[in-house]
Amino acid sequence: MKEVTRKWIINGKERQVTCPPLRRLLDVLREDLHLTGTKEGCGEGECGACTVLVNGDPVVSCLIPAGQVPDGAEILTVEGLEETDLGRLLQEAYLEKGAVQCGFCIPGMIMSSYALLQRNATPTELEIREAHAGNLCRCTGYVKIVEAVQYAASKLS
Amino acid sequence: MAAVGTSVPRRDGREKVTGRTAYIDDMSFPGAWHGVVVRSPVAHGRLKGRHLDPAFDWSQVVVVTPEDIPGENLVHEIIKDMPLLCDDEIQYLGEPLALVAAPTKDLAREAAGYITFDIEELPSIQTLKEVIAQYKTDEGKLHKFCAQTIVKGDIEKGFEEADYIIEQEYWAGHHEQAYLEPQGLVAVPGEDGSVLIEGSMQCPYFVALELLPTLNLPPEKLRVRQAPTGGAFGGKEEFPTWLGGYVALMAMKSKRTVKLIYDRHEDIRYTTKRHPSWSRYKTGFKKDGAITAVKVEFFLDGGAYGTLSSIVLARGVLHAFIGYRCDNVFIDGRVYRTHSFPCGAFRGFGAPQAIWGLESQMDLMARACDMTPHAFRLRNAVVPGDTTATGQTLAECEACGTVLERTLEKCDFEAKLARCTRGAQDADTWYGVGLAFFAHGSAFTGDGEARFKAKAALDLALDDAERPVVLIRCSSVEMGQGAHTVLPQIVADGLCADLRFVQNPLPDTALVPNSGPTVASRTTMIVGNTLYGAGRKLKAKLEAYASARFFESQAAILKDSVFSAGHDRVDFEEVALAYLKEHGPVRVEHQYELDPKIAWNQETFEGDAYPSYSWGCNVVELEIDRATLQIEVKKVTGVFDVGRVINPMLAMGQLEGGFLQAFGYALLERIGVRNGAYDADRFQTYIIPTMLDAPPFDFEFMEYPYTFSPPGAKGIGELPIDGLSPAVANAIEMAAGIRMTEIPVTPESLFEALRKQVKS
Repeated sequence: MKEVTRKWIINGKERQVTCPPLRRLLDVLREDLHLTGTKEGCGEGECGACTVLVNGDPVVSCLIPAGQVPDGAEILTVEGLEETDLGRLLQEAYLEKGAVQCGFCIPGMIMSSYALLQRNATPTELEIREAHAGNLCRCTGYVKIVEAVQYAASKLS
Repeated sequence: MAAVGTSVPRRDGREKVTGRTAYIDDMSFPGAWHGVVVRSPVAHGRLKGRHLDPAFDWSQVVVVTPEDIPGENLVHEIIKDMPLLCDDEIQYLGEPLALVAAPTKDLAREAAGYITFDIEELPSIQTLKEVIAQYKTDEGKLHKFCAQTIVKGDIEKGFEEADYIIEQEYWAGHHEQAYLEPQGLVAVPGEDGSVLIEGSMQCPYFVALELLPTLNLPPEKLRVRQAPTGGAFGGKEEFPTWLGGYVALMAMKSKRTVKLIYDRHEDIRYTTKRHPSWSRYKTGFKKDGAITAVKVEFFLDGGAYGTLSSIVLARGVLHAFIGYRCDNVFIDGRVYRTHSFPCGAFRGFGAPQAIWGLESQMDLMARACDMTPHAFRLRNAVVPGDTTATGQTLAECEACGTVLERTLEKCDFEAKLARCTRGAQDADTWYGVGLAFFAHGSAFTGDGEARFKAKAALDLALDDAERPVVLIRCSSVEMGQGAHTVLPQIVADGLCADLRFVQNPLPDTALVPNSGPTVASRTTMIVGNTLYGAGRKLKAKLEAYASARFFESQAAILKDSVFSAGHDRVDFEEVALAYLKEHGPVRVEHQYELDPKIAWNQETFEGDAYPSYSWGCNVVELEIDRATLQIEVKKVTGVFDVGRVINPMLAMGQLEGGFLQAFGYALLERIGVRNGAYDADRFQTYIIPTMLDAPPFDFEFMEYPYTFSPPGAKGIGELPIDGLSPAVANAIEMAAGIRMTEIPVTPESLFEALRKQVKS
C-alpha cells in the first residue's frame, strides 16, 4: 500500500512521519519516533496502556491507523507531560499518593487522568472511575490512582 | 530520623510517571533478531518427524531443534521432567517443538509456517474435572506427579468424638497472573561463547543457574540481568527460565542478539497459571463448636509437567488447616497430570486454593451447630501457645485471633449479620455479609532459609557525581511491589545514615550475591534482615575507620548520618569520602541466620512449618440483584498483621492490589480448557477487574513484629490474595441462601445453582 506522509504536533513539536497508512499509531510512536514511554499491553484496545491524546481526546494508539490521524493533529504522550502544568501536577500527585507500582500501565493511565481533568476539573469519584475504566492496572487495586486524581483535582480548584 | 515506618514515596516512581523507565521492549538492541516458538497443535501425541519445506529460503533464518541443545534437554525445576524442546512424547497443546530466529518478527513467523510435524495423536485427559471423576472410580490410570500428607493425632478417634460430621467438595479454576507487561527476554551472545540474558523476571539466579546444564555453560559464561519488570505475581518466577532457554539457544546458534517478546494473546495462551484445585473437607465437631477432626483431600491440576508443583502443593497443604485448634488432622495432598499447559507460581502459591475450602467449611460447620460464623471461629481460633497441624507451637508474638476480633469490631459484623436476607423470596435485592480468617506462612517452608543461606551485600562506592553512595547488592527484584524502596529504608536504618545515601540498582548476577528468588513473601522479612545485618557491619567498619582517622582513636558512633566521639562530630559524607580515597570501594556481605529454634522434618511435614506467620481477616458485604443475579461487592473490610510495617503507603498498596486480584479470582476471572487450549485467551475474554469493578476497601494493620529478625517485618505479598473467595461465598450464602462451591462465582453459575436448588 502507498505510504502516507503526516505532519503532527507531538508533545508540542512538529514532527513528520512517512509510513504505510495502516501502521499503528503505537508503532509510529514507539519504533519510528522512539517515544517508548507509551506501552503495548494487549494490542487490541482492552488494556489502555497505549493511551495517548489526539487533539485532547484519549485514544488507544494500538487501534489507530496512522493514516487516520490528519495533518496538524496534536498528539500528547507521557513524554510530553512534564512540559504541561497539568501533567506535572498529575505526576506529583501520582507519586505522593502512591499510585504507581510496576508502572507499566501508568503512561496510559495518567493520559486518561489528563484528558479527564482537562475537561472536568471537579470530577466525582464515579466520573474518575468511568474515565479510567479503559485502563487496566493489575498492581494497585486502583485506590491510590483515584486518590491521586482527586488530589490533583483539588489542587486545580 | 528512622526511615522504617515512614511512607517514603516509591523511589522508582519518577522514572515511571515520566515514561523514562525502559522495560525490555523499550530498550534498543541494534541489529537484534526476533524469535518465535513453534508449538504442538495437539494436546497429547508422539512426535514422529519434522519437515522444513524446501519452498522456503531457510538461509535467511535460524531454526533451533532439540538436536541443537548443547547440554541436557531438560528444564531444571524442582521436578525435573520437562524438556526445553519436545522431541518425543508431546504432553500439551502449545508445547515448544522448535524455535525460529529471523531479522524480523514477520519473517520468523512466516518461516515457522513452513515447518510441519508428523504427530501420532494420543488420547488425553485435559481437565481436573476428568481427573477427579477418574480418581473416584479408578485412580490407577492417573499420572501423579507428587504427594504430601500432614498427620496429627488420630483422625478416626477425632470423628468418633464428633457430634456432627460434614463433608463438602470445593473447586477452584485456573487463574492468570495478568501482569500488564507481557513476558520478554533478550539474549546477547559474546564472542567467547558466553551469553547475557536480560529482561522481565523475578528470579535472576533461577535463570542463571537452572539453564547451565541445558546450555552446557560454566557459571561464568551465563550472566543474567533483570530489566525493569512490569508486574509478575509469580508469573515471572519460573517461566523466564524456559523463555531464557529458548532465547539463549537462538542467540547461540545464530550468533546474534535475539529478542523474544510475547504479545498478550501468546502470553495468556502459553504461560503458567495458578493450579486449579479440588478439595474435599470432611470435618467432625461437637455441639459446642469444638472441632475434633479435620480430613482434607487437596488435589491440584499440575498441567502437563511437574515443574514446581511439589512446592505449590507443600504450601497448599500447610494452609489447608491453619488458624484453628484441632488435635486430629489428616491432610492428603496430590498433584495430577492433565494434558494442558503446566501450572506454576502465582501469588499465594497453593494457599488461596486451600483457604478457599477451609474458610467455606468453617461457615458450614458454624451453621450445623447453630453458631454464628464469628462465634464458631472465635471458639476455635488459635492463640499463642497453641499448636498447628504440623505440631508447631505458635509464638507469643503472633497476632492470631486478635485480627479476627478487631475486624469484627471494625465492621460491626454482628449488626450486619442481622440484616442478611438469607434467600428471602420477598426481597428485590439480596444482602449478605461473609467472613474469612487466615494466615500465611512467611518465607521458605520449614528450615528452608537455613538451607538456602541467603546472602546480600552493600558496596560503598562513588557515584557518577563523585559522591559516596551505598549500593544494595542482592538478587531480589523490584517488580512493582516496592522492594527497591523498602530495602533501602531498612539499610538506612541498619547503617544509621540517611536514605539519600542508599541506592538499589537492578540485579545483575555478575555483581550481586544470591539473596534468593523474589518469592514466598520473603523479600522484606528475610532479605531485608540480611541487608540490615550488612548495614550494621558497614556501620561498624566506618566507625572503626572514623575513630582512627578523625577522633584520635576515641570510639566513634554513627547516628543520623553523623559520626561522633565525645563532643566532636564529622558527617557521614566526609568520613565515607575519606575512606574511599584511602581504601577504594568496599563491600560488606551478610548471610541470613534462621532462628536456630526452628525444627522441621521435610519428610513427615512435622515441626515448625514457617519461621513466622502473617495473619489476616476480611469481611465482604455484597448485594445480589434478584433479576440479573449480578453480584455487587459493596465493601471489603480487613485487618492484617504483617509484622513491622516498613512503608505504610506501599504496604497498603500491596493489600489493595492483592485484594483486587483475589476479587477477580472469586468473581470474574473464568478460564477453562477446551480442546487442550484455554478458552479465554485475551483481555477481551479473560476479564480482570477495571476501576469500575473495584469495590471499596477499608483496611488496617495491627503490628506484631517478628522479633527474631530486625526490623521485624513478616510476609505481606501473598496474604491479601488468600481470604476473599471464601468470604464471598459465605456472604452469598447469607444473601441468597445457597452454598457456592466453585470459583469464580458468576451470575451464570449462581443461576444454575439456584435452578438446581428449586428443582430439588
